[in-house]
Formats: sequence, C-alpha cells, structure tokens
Amino acid sequence: MSRLSFRPRPLDIHKKLPILKSFKDFEDDETPTSTRNSQLLRIVPEVEHEAHVPHAPSKKLASEIPTPQFVYVDTYERDYSCTFVQPTSYLRARGARAEIGEFVEYDLDNEDEDWLSEFNEERDILTPEMFESLLFKLEVLDHKARERAGLLTATLGSPIPVLLRFETAMETLQSLNVKYTILESVYDYWKEKRIQWLKPILRRLQPAPAVNDTNPYNVFRPREKAHRLHTRRMQRRENNVQSFEKLRQVRRNLDQAKSLLEALIKREEKKRDVIESEVTLQRMQMKYKHETEFLEDNLAMSGFTPFSSKLVSSEEEYFDSDDVMTSLLPRSRSTVQNLHPYDTNLPMVPTVSAKQELKRIQVPHGWPHKLDPLEPVLLFTKPLLPGKLAVAGILPPDSIAKNGVSAQPPYTFRGRIGRGGRIIFDRSNLLMQTPIDCGNSYYMPPKPRPSTCN
Amino acid sequence: MGSLDTPISAENGSAHATGHGKSPLTDGGTRAAPADSVPEFEPSKRRRSSMLPLEVGTRVMCRWRDGKYHPVKVIERRRVHGCGPNDYEYYVHYTEFNRRLDEWVKLDQLDLDSVEAVVDEKVEEKGASGLKMTRHQKRKIDETHVEGHEELDAASLREHEEFTKVKNIATIELGRYEIETWYFSPFPSEYNDCLKLFFCEFCLNFMKRKEQLQRHMKKCDLKHPPGDEIYRSGTLSMFEVDGKKNKVYGQNLCYLAKLFLDHKTLYYDVDLFLFYVLCECDERGCHMVGYFSKEKHSEESYNLACILTLPPYQRKGYGKFLIAFSYELSKKEGKVGTPERPLSDLGLLSYRGYWTRVLLDILKKHKGNISIKELSDMTAIKAEDILTTLQSLELIQYRKGQHVICADPKVLDRHLKAAGRGGLDVDVCKLIWTPYKEQS
Repeated sequence: MSRLSFRPRPLDIHKKLPILKSFKDFEDDETPTSTRNSQLLRIVPEVEHEAHVPHAPSKKLASEIPTPQFVYVDTYERDYSCTFVQPTSYLRARGARAEIGEFVEYDLDNEDEDWLSEFNEERDILTPEMFESLLFKLEVLDHKARERAGLLTATLGSPIPVLLRFETAMETLQSLNVKYTILESVYDYWKEKRIQWLKPILRRLQPAPAVNDTNPYNVFRPREKAHRLHTRRMQRRENNVQSFEKLRQVRRNLDQAKSLLEALIKREEKKRDVIESEVTLQRMQMKYKHETEFLEDNLAMSGFTPFSSKLVSSEEEYFDSDDVMTSLLPRSRSTVQNLHPYDTNLPMVPTVSAKQELKRIQVPHGWPHKLDPLEPVLLFTKPLLPGKLAVAGILPPDSIAKNGVSAQPPYTFRGRIGRGGRIIFDRSNLLMQTPIDCGNSYYMPPKPRPSTCN
Repeated sequence: MGSLDTPISAENGSAHATGHGKSPLTDGGTRAAPADSVPEFEPSKRRRSSMLPLEVGTRVMCRWRDGKYHPVKVIERRRVHGCGPNDYEYYVHYTEFNRRLDEWVKLDQLDLDSVEAVVDEKVEEKGASGLKMTRHQKRKIDETHVEGHEELDAASLREHEEFTKVKNIATIELGRYEIETWYFSPFPSEYNDCLKLFFCEFCLNFMKRKEQLQRHMKKCDLKHPPGDEIYRSGTLSMFEVDGKKNKVYGQNLCYLAKLFLDHKTLYYDVDLFLFYVLCECDERGCHMVGYFSKEKHSEESYNLACILTLPPYQRKGYGKFLIAFSYELSKKEGKVGTPERPLSDLGLLSYRGYWTRVLLDILKKHKGNISIKELSDMTAIKAEDILTTLQSLELIQYRKGQHVICADPKVLDRHLKAAGRGGLDVDVCKLIWTPYKEQS
C-alpha cells in the first residue's frame, strides 16, 4: 500500500509545520491506529533499506539519458580571431545593428553565390562583399520606398511588391563607384529574386505572420497584449444567455450599491450640516445668555456686588465655554488694570451701585426673560431669585457678615445654582471683581473653598 | 561504439548536399553502402524482398551508435537513388529513447529478420486511402513517447509530433562545435533545402555554407551577445538581451534553441521576452554556453520560459547555474516564480535537483516550525513547487490531523546526495541588475 487510506486535509501553506528532526519522533507519540501504523512501518524499513544501499536515482537517470553527439570544428581557430579584450567594467549594449547604420546586415546565400560566380566568370568584376552591400542597400531602399507609400502593413503570406525603381536606386548607389552595367545586373537579379520570394530577402524587413495565422511553420507572430484576460474565470468566459444574465445581475447589484452609497453620502452630509447649525445656535445662545444673565444677575441678586455690564456687552467678552461664570470673570482684565492699584477701590463702589440701580428700573421682575423658547436651560448657571431664597430661609453669606463685626466685608458673594442643583455662593473680591480662586488674578489670597449652602 | 561513428559522420558529411524531406536525391554517388551490399541470408531473402520498401509504422530492430540493436519504429522514408524497392532510407524512432535521437538510417542498419509481421493496423487501414497526412495523424502514439509530454493532451501532442516528426536540420556548426541537432526547428522556408547550418557564434546569424560564415566572420562586429552584461564571475558572464531591441538576435536564438528543445514554441514574437545568455569568455570573445528566456510581464508568475544548455556544455553544472540565476532575479524583483511548463526530461531533472538542494539546505539548518509560505518567501520558489518537491521526497507526512515536515539529518543528506551538488554557484554580489521596466 503506497497511499494512505484516508484523505489528508489539504495543506495550508501559511500554517507553520513542525519539523521533526528524527524518525523516532514519529514512533514516540504514535497512536495505535492501523493506518498510521502501517504508514510508519512502511517508512522505517524503507529508510533503513535506503541507508544501506546508497543510491542516487536522479543522478543515475541523468547519466542514462542519451543525447546526440557533437564534434570539434577544426577550422575554428582560423575562423574566429583572438581580438577580444574583456574590459574591467561590465559590458553595455550598443544600439541594434539596424540603428548603427553602416553594418551590412545581409549575408549572401547559395543562390547569390552561384549567380555571382557565373556573373564574374573567373574575373573579379564584383567582389562578394560589394555584392552583399549592394543587395543590402537595395533592400533598405525598397523598404523605405514601401514605407513612404504606406504599404508596410502587409503580413506574411500576401506577396510583397517591389516598389524601388532602378532610376531611384541608381541615384543613391552612384556614390559607391560601381559601374552602371554592374548595378543594372545586380538590380535585375535582386528584383527577380524578390519577385520569386514574394517577400524581402533581408530577414529583419520581413513582416510577421498575421495574428490568426495557424500555420505552425510560420513563427514569431505579434502578440496583442491588451487581450489577455486576467483570471481563469475570465479566460473560460462563455458567451451565452446565462452568463449574460449573470453579468446583468452583477451590474444591477453594482448600480444598487452605488445609489445606496450616494444616499449614504447625502445623509451624512445632512447630518454634518445639522451639527454645524446646532453648534452655531449654541454659540449664539450662549452669547445671548451672557448678556441676559448679567442683567438678570444685577436685578436678582441686588445684595451682591454685580459686574459692570459694560464688560459683558463688549464683543471681546464672547467666550466659548459651558462654565459661564468662571469663563466670564477673568475676562475683565482691562477693568482690572483700571482698578489697580488697590487704593482706588473705594470710589468705585458707589458708581457701580448707581448703575445697578438704573438697570433695576429697566428690567422687569420675575424669571429672566427667555427670548428663545428653545434655549436649553443650563441649570447650574441659573441665577438665584433672592425672593425665593428668602422664603426658603437662605441668606447670602455677606448679609450674615453684615450682622457681624465687619461692616465692610473683604469679600462679596455671588450666588448661583451649581451643577448638582446646590446653591453656590462664590466668594469674589470686591475690588478686583474676580473670584478669589481665579488663577490669573493679581491678588492671590489664601484659598478658602467657595462656601456652599445646602 | 567506434564502428558506428563512421556511418553517422558519413551522413553528416554529405548532409549539405542532400535534399530535404521526400525529394529524391540527385547526388546518389556520395551515398555509401548501397542497399544491395547488405549481406543476405537465403532463407529470409524472399520474405524480405516482398516487404521492401518498409511501410511507415513498421517496427524493426536497428543498429544504433553503441553497436547494439534497438527496437525502432519507422517514422518516414525517402528515396535515395534509383527506383528499386531497396533504394530508400528510413527515419526511425528508437522506442527506448527520447525523440531527440530519431535519425535517418540506411537499410543495412536495419535487421530485416526482426520486422514485426503485424504493422500497425491503423496504418494498414489508412494506407489504402493513400492520404499520407491522415495516415500519420492517425498513427498510434507510442507509449514510450510519453516521457516529458505528460502535460499535453493527446490531440495537441499528436499535432505537435506530426509537424515536428522529422528533423529538418541534422547538424549545426556553432563556434568551436559541430553539434547534432535534437529536434525539428521551423527555420524560414529558404532553409528547407539544407541539412546543416553554420551559425555565427556571436550574432547567431545562420548560413548554409561555410564560406558564407567565414565571410560573415570578417565583418561581424560582435564578440558577445548584444545586451548588457549583468553578471561576471571569473570567465563566466551573463548578458541580458531585450527581445524588442535585438529582434533578429532573439529570433536567431529561438531558432537555434528549438533545435534542442522539443516543446518550445516559436509561435509568438520575441519582443515580449528578455534573454539571459550565459557565456564563457576568452580572448576570442564570449561564447554562448546556454540561456534562459523570461517574459517581461508574466501573468502566471513564470520566471523562466525556456532554458537550454548547449550540448557541448551539458552536465557541467551550467543548467543548475541558469536555474539558480532565474531565482536570484526573482528574489531581486521580490516575487516568487516558477518555470513555464511543460518541462523536458532533462529540465525537470535539473529543477528537481535545484529545488531539493535549496529546500533541504534550509530544513537542515532551520529550527522550529516553518510554513510552506515562509520557505517560498525565502527562496522565491513557488509554493506549489515546494509542495511537490517535498511530497515526492516523502518529507511531508500527515499525522494526527496535521502535516509535519520530516527533517531527519540522515534522510536529508541522502536526498541531497541524490540531487547532486550544484556545480556553479551564483555569487549574488556580482549581479548588477535592475528589474525590467517598460520605457514608455
């Protein structure tokens, strides 16, 4: 039995295969199944047998394949001259002979030689070299003539006419210093030969056989490159209704996929537009909110020292952040500079309160006026209503302080509802009008946490 | 052996004057050993005269160059001179050997007593119809013929053998050597009338007469193949010739190579191929030793189309060098490659040897697991070729539901020994080459 009785799983070429360095490995973890057993039993004796009788099958076979013979050519040393010197650098190709020009590509054949010896009649009228050169030039001239006439497309099989006229040939060949009569004879001989051959006698100028020429004796057809099909499936493409339908189905599927993708692109673009609009909306709302909030602040938290509304309304104050309070406060740098140094703080207070007084008149009471009903309610920035706070029994810390020792508290407090819904009073510097915690404040007092109530 | 050399060379000597194919010879005088001189044995005389001339398809014993008689089959016959039934010579196929040894033999080489009474029935049948072509086409394909043809279907094999059944050129002269040809080659029709061709060793132009070659040698300006030298190690040089830039050279090379390659096709033009010509260089020039051709763009990942070591240089390791070289080029291209099929008997042998050597050398040194793909990446040998090589050496075993590679050092050494050492190594650092790019 030389084959396994079961069919092994096809081998995965990407899978790492263990390499067993010894046949013993086979035996050691051998399981007692009959197939494997027999396989191994088969291998081991074979190995032993081969080890004992060293043989070289392929080598033996090679020496057994007989081939035809060869002999040495005795004239070789004479025919080929010792004139080659190998340069130290690698040799580079020159242009092809046809491009170099002067080389006589044509070699006389038997027919030419016979004609020449008859023509010469033992005298040296025309040397073989000159004859070769003349025939070569006639061929090239005729080729050029056919090229000019646009007759080069002919393929092998159809006769190729001689277009070169003797007079034309004469004009060019005159420079070779050959007698007129000799040229005439050579031309006649060449033309006759050409008519007989039906094709150029210089092989380079002979056209290739047609692509669909099936004659196996005709060789070196041009090969159309574009026509090659890439996959096997394409190569055995059948031209019938079934495959037509199949291809139509493929086309339908692809069209559907395409429109689906286009719709998808549209949808995603719309989504992006929506997001962008929302962002713009948010920004505008925030900007708007800042303005209204401060108005509200000033109105609602009358007990707290408000900010100058001038700061808030200025275009520079626009800030893209969700924490309105903290973002807003440090923005007052110009004001801060104005307020600096500290001793200017006292006259400031009445001015501010006067402005605040004015605004209170203009703005009606109640919840802040929402111009846009869609405006999201940012709970933690909601201003506190002092009335409601009072009802709930919550007092701003500074009012508590007023009842205490200090009449002029070092801090002022601003109330708001925090993120978690707690009511937060931010302690802020009265003079600087910045929160105590603020990093870019000039004044950095020891850092008590903002007090929270509730 | 020696006794047989004479008739063979006698045939070669008169070769250039001999007519080709079935045309009767006009120079009968030069033919040695006319059929009448064959020593005859009385009892078989009558039987023999009735069977002459032998029919195509006859099986008979024939004396070969080793002096022994071997079974042959008559492939073709032709009249030599006169018109008697004895005035024929026969083109025979030695059924034990490859087609490359088919040759024309004279009647005295045949042992007429051994003629098998039953000629191929099919041949007999069709013989009556008188259509020669049909008769040959129907010729039963000899079983022993099949070596090296496994990959061709019967129809294309028949067609192939029909049109190449008789060698047209018997010998060639190429540089220092006069070489007997192996197979038919479709030379242009102008060369139908000659049996010997004279090749210029460098530009490979071929001529019918020695004087023509000698005249050519005076003007031939080439001393090496007309391409770029891409490798040089000692006296060994490799040239890359673009079939498009040197069309005539490429075609000449193909005509020449076909004389030694059975399944080479010259169907398509050479401009899509690159030819890598290996040369031994001396003070006379660079002498072609062998070559391989390669498609500029292969869609089937072929890295080699045809490979040939010329007979005088065979069995010296040049073939293995050419194969190794083709894989080195593939490595530089970063591709895996495989030779175009079918491989000849000698070609397959060389490739098997190369694959075995390369793969087993790796397995010997490698530690840990390895996949076929990794082997392929390391060697540029196509995965399928690796599989067939390892499987034919029975180094891949299937056990416990998985494949394992057996790399017992003793077993590997035995296989390596059998594969023979590759004579000449390719020294990669001497290869100066960039992959072909279309200039457009």
